[in-house]
Amino acid sequence: MGRTLEKLDSINRGELSAVDNVWQALERIEKLDKKINSFIELNSNAVAEAEAVHRRLQRGEKVGKLEGLVIGVKSNLNVTGLRATCASRTLDNYVSTYDADVVKRVRAAGGIVIGVNNMDEFACGSSGETSAFGPTDNPAAPGHIPGGSSSGGGAAIAAGLCDLCLGTDTGGSIRNPASHCGVVGVKPTYGLVPRQGLIDLGMSLDQIGSIAPDVVGAALLLETIAGKTQNECVMLDVDKARYLDRLGDGVKGMRVGVSQKFRDLTDPAVMGVIDKSVEKLREFGAEIVDVQLPNLERGLTAYYLIVSVEFFSGTRKFDGRKYGKRIEDVCGEEVLRRIMRGRYISQKEYRGKFYQRALQVRTLVRQELMAALEKVDVIVGPTVPKLPHRLGAKLTPMEMYAYDYLTIPANLAGICAGVVKAGDVGGIPVGVQAQGKILGESDMFRVMHVLEAKA
Amino acid sequence: MKVKIGLEVHQQIATERKFYCNCPTNYQDVPPNTNVCPICTGMPGAKPLSPNERAVNAAIEIAVMLGCKVITGQTVYIQRKHYDYPDLPSGYQRTSLPIASEGTLEGVRIREVHLEEDPGQYNPVAGTADYNRSGVPLVEIVTEPDMKSPEEARRFLRLLTRVLEYTGKVRPEAGGAMRADVNISLEGGGRVEVKNVNSVKGAYRALKFEIIRQRDKIKRGETVVRETRAYLESQMTTVPMRAKETEEDYRYIPDPDIFPLVLEKERVDRITAGMAEAPHIREERLIKQYGIPKPAAEVIVSERGLADLYEAVAKDVDPKLAATWFRTKLKKVLNYMKLQAADVKFTPGQLAGLLRMVKTKKVTPEQGELVLREIVKKPAEPEELLVKLGLIPLKRSELTKAISGTITTNPVAVKDYRAGKTKALEFLTGKVMGQTKGKADPRAVRKILIRRLKSRHRTRK
Amino acid sequence: MKEIERSAQEVIDSFVEAAKDLPELKETYYNQEAYNVVSPDGEPTPEKERAEFRKRFIADMPGSDDQGNLKVEVAKWAER
Repeated sequence: MGRTLEKLDSINRGELSAVDNVWQALERIEKLDKKINSFIELNSNAVAEAEAVHRRLQRGEKVGKLEGLVIGVKSNLNVTGLRATCASRTLDNYVSTYDADVVKRVRAAGGIVIGVNNMDEFACGSSGETSAFGPTDNPAAPGHIPGGSSSGGGAAIAAGLCDLCLGTDTGGSIRNPASHCGVVGVKPTYGLVPRQGLIDLGMSLDQIGSIAPDVVGAALLLETIAGKTQNECVMLDVDKARYLDRLGDGVKGMRVGVSQKFRDLTDPAVMGVIDKSVEKLREFGAEIVDVQLPNLERGLTAYYLIVSVEFFSGTRKFDGRKYGKRIEDVCGEEVLRRIMRGRYISQKEYRGKFYQRALQVRTLVRQELMAALEKVDVIVGPTVPKLPHRLGAKLTPMEMYAYDYLTIPANLAGICAGVVKAGDVGGIPVGVQAQGKILGESDMFRVMHVLEAKA
Repeated sequence: MKVKIGLEVHQQIATERKFYCNCPTNYQDVPPNTNVCPICTGMPGAKPLSPNERAVNAAIEIAVMLGCKVITGQTVYIQRKHYDYPDLPSGYQRTSLPIASEGTLEGVRIREVHLEEDPGQYNPVAGTADYNRSGVPLVEIVTEPDMKSPEEARRFLRLLTRVLEYTGKVRPEAGGAMRADVNISLEGGGRVEVKNVNSVKGAYRALKFEIIRQRDKIKRGETVVRETRAYLESQMTTVPMRAKETEEDYRYIPDPDIFPLVLEKERVDRITAGMAEAPHIREERLIKQYGIPKPAAEVIVSERGLADLYEAVAKDVDPKLAATWFRTKLKKVLNYMKLQAADVKFTPGQLAGLLRMVKTKKVTPEQGELVLREIVKKPAEPEELLVKLGLIPLKRSELTKAISGTITTNPVAVKDYRAGKTKALEFLTGKVMGQTKGKADPRAVRKILIRRLKSRHRTRK
Repeated sequence: MKEIERSAQEVIDSFVEAAKDLPELKETYYNQEAYNVVSPDGEPTPEKERAEFRKRFIADMPGSDDQGNLKVEVAKWAER
């Protein structure tokens, strides 16, 4: 039984109370998080919330799928009363005035918000080094970056500081840290999970997803937060999501796609680990099929143009008048870089050449992925092209962006993608990525489940 | 000097809740920052709800009423228009691509119509912002620069107000439901845009000021630069608003959080079929259908409520009589009592009843007006009011008696009249009216007096 | 600042290079084709539901007056 099911089981059987679960988490955080720095702020109300859940469980009431589990929430999600800082000085005194819809759902399912996870500032990063509240360490490879931008979430799960984490993924920000930290991370199909309350990086790319110690945990959390609401406009017409029942169905007869392009773009040592995962799938009865993704890597620069325009637009409200400070006055370099870039290419005279052209490249990358997914059920490959660097190493912006080559396509296309630990290189975790069709989470989870199992 | 004036009119649409959130729209009735939520205050992470359908349909109806071609079968994006201003909580305004184009209203071409959301209210002098109004749906109507004088602009705005009122889909005028940016250029000068104009009067005054200001500059040999200015209501002047001369780049992008609209022809047809008749069209029809003169029809259609009332009444009584009454006495009473026709509490039947009594000479027109005032103040059946006001019609015998009596007791006036002093007639008529306590019909009195006085005169000879 | 601008430009140049020989296609603005997703007009939220938010909103304001207005800058063009 994996960590998540074990925990739920002991809470269910009354061995561990929800309150004790919170206390244990707080103790671990107290002991370990000074060095890791995966939490920016803790919820002083967590014990009280746990007590409420505990009382309901004692009365025999049905509490919900997450009954008593301790959840970390990324700092770009609104939790009333806690500061949604996005790890930036811009919002370091912004006390959330409302709950994000996913937070409401987590609480409605009996989950207890333990605190707010550290991240790259405004989600503009892939390393976990750009937070205004200090970098986060990688508990699975100390001294190395945990990845980003959901750096705190990945690290907290790796160190066992909480049961599950809500992260966000715009170009790989859940999957990247999941791979580096050796944990499970899932980006759902775009439009499956409500974004009300998520502070924007790129509106047409952002999705909220799960970070967990195991595939069951990731699937459980995703089931809880997924589904249409009347509370925003751009959503898929899906009422409920069910993944757990078919999780253990195996991969026999499934068609799994692999692409030479992955090998071309990836460090051979990393690719070696991935090859073993593909072999495992073959052993378990999947049919391995070659798919063509000729323009995959062109997506990277197109992505950075699109996200810069959308981020520029989304940050216009940070003018310091209603709350916080004016963003351009206090933000970090990468955030400023994206704002300036976005401001530049969205000008009337440049829109066509840059912004709209980038959206055309998006169409191309999307079409290729969709065509590949016509031939197979799931595409399997590496998550990141190279191993995580040491904290503090100097990388140029382009070198930093290069981490995203393999994760960005799923965001451009809006498809689902999940990561599970495949192995390691010299002790540094390597995650294997499974990309599924639009609303193909079920198949994706089945593949991930097989890949997770010890050989 | 050739003057070109164009208008960008912003009109609030009447809805219960705002365009993209569930806040109420009655922003004038509540304390500052009360009708607000994370969405309309631009809280970090807030996403809009799907657009308010009533607002979209209202804009279509308004566009059709203005004779525009609605843009059907094409993707109409809701865009983000970015600019920095204290009343704009998100740093951008949600504004649609045009939903209609190429209309016309009394000689002024309508370039396009689109949907917007209202920003909040910024007090530039006090330095405060209130977001109660932020997010209220607006329709923006953009004209071609077809107006050539402030008077033309004022006339257009008044006509436009009337047309908008006719749809029944806009918020009533009071307090800034309609605002306009005015654009004016004089021959040889740049186009000046004047913002912060909150009334028809303001538009007129702003334009008058601008013409003088620009003419002066041209006379002095200076160029009139293209700029944006603000209208200061208290001083009736305009002042420069933005430092730069270049046009602001709003960096429009389709809003990724709102799916676009596609207006189907069926919906436009349905709305067109169900909508109120445009005032200028109704005016023509009234003239034709009821055979009433244009001046009367003009007054009747000046308010949709008044026209509705007229047609309800004209079913039961002589339309021409009704038209005369509407044009003169009813309008007078309503104006005096500061009432809109739509607000009256009496029924068309009651008014029709009164007009019938006038027609059958059961009451004189003057008496009728007294009854009318009562009906407007406190609605009741006209017959009841006759009794209440003591206006029981005068018997013929009473009238004859009063006339005879007056002739007998006023020999000097009688002599004067026969001597050719027509003023004496008025004097005598007045006396009879006094005798009958106003119940007599002065016209009938005059007629009888003339007959009696003249005939006596003849028999004398 | 200049350095940030320059480095911001890099990925734009890189994009132009990468997109050079790619075909012209329709832009993807949205991940799904959906139109006319609207909501009916109706009963607004009642006041007590908004009261809690109002309190927090005002508490976050850098400056407010006693009526709940947000304090912002006075307009330069109005200062005459």
